[in-house]
Amino acid sequence: MGLIDHQFTDNIITTNVDTVLNWARKSSLWPMGFGLACCAIEMMATGGPRFDIARFGAEVFRASPRQSDLMIVAGTVTKKMAPVLRRLYDQMPEPKWVISMGSCANAGGPFPTYSVLQGVDKVVPVDVYISGCPPRPEALLYGLMRLQDKILKEGTVLRKERVIKSGASEPVLVEG
Amino acid sequence: MKAFLRKIFLVDLLKGLWVTMTYTPQPAFTFQYPAERRPTSPRFRGVLRLQAEPGTGAQVCIVCDQCAKACPDDLITLGGHREPGQKLKALDYFDFNLSRCSFCGLCSEACPTKPVKALIMSEDYELASYARESQILRVDQMYDGVAIERYTH
Repeated sequence: MGLIDHQFTDNIITTNVDTVLNWARKSSLWPMGFGLACCAIEMMATGGPRFDIARFGAEVFRASPRQSDLMIVAGTVTKKMAPVLRRLYDQMPEPKWVISMGSCANAGGPFPTYSVLQGVDKVVPVDVYISGCPPRPEALLYGLMRLQDKILKEGTVLRKERVIKSGASEPVLVEG
Repeated sequence: MKAFLRKIFLVDLLKGLWVTMTYTPQPAFTFQYPAERRPTSPRFRGVLRLQAEPGTGAQVCIVCDQCAKACPDDLITLGGHREPGQKLKALDYFDFNLSRCSFCGLCSEACPTKPVKALIMSEDYELASYARESQILRVDQMYDGVAIERYTH
């Protein structure tokens, strides 16, 4: 993919290829289960038959970062865990996305202490933040659908950079 | 001899398949989330919501700062001013940092207004956002709730 990534301007072939590739990417997000605390229980519930994240093509929780596209950081990230998390993120192949699940991963939650990382966005770029303590399985599914919306707006072969993170409520595209 | 016959006639396999067969006619267990929404339990605590007077839409919050004091993580900042001649303070800003909130409900428990509670825990739980900045809710979002994308195709 490195040869054709972000190399083309808009025309009828490249936009259609882009749409197909984005559709393929959003429909088979393989998450790496990064269960760190109680949010992991809700993440496992989402993977179970009651809520069934497989309906969104994201049921294959991989144990290896080499096989995953999506990192769901579910739980409190301690400062001891942060370098490990960054290393696993670096080992994931592009394209990769990060969902920060729950208050602890978002901002440190109720632990403003020396040992807890105050938000996982300090070590990895986060695409979707899901609030909740812990979020319901439905909230995680909603976050996943928000991420799928975002992936559809990204450029794969088109000359668009990845969606920048600091948009207010809607993702903002940057033309490359 | 008996064990051999069991193996020949696949008794154990058929027993196992029979269990599967008895479970098969049951309706699907999966909850089709974006199409149908599970009702929340009565004591469910979702995102904070400011309430206005039903009917008139007048302000209920008396800007007493009790919720900000009750919050264990200091997530609520609110302020108001008093118009000359008015008894009730007008609410100017109500900033709520959702990103740290652990939904404990101490703020809405502390809210003293009667009979309409100004600060309640609503039933909204779909709270995904693309940026951490948009997780700080301003006063209009506190009244109207966070905008939710409905994925019912």
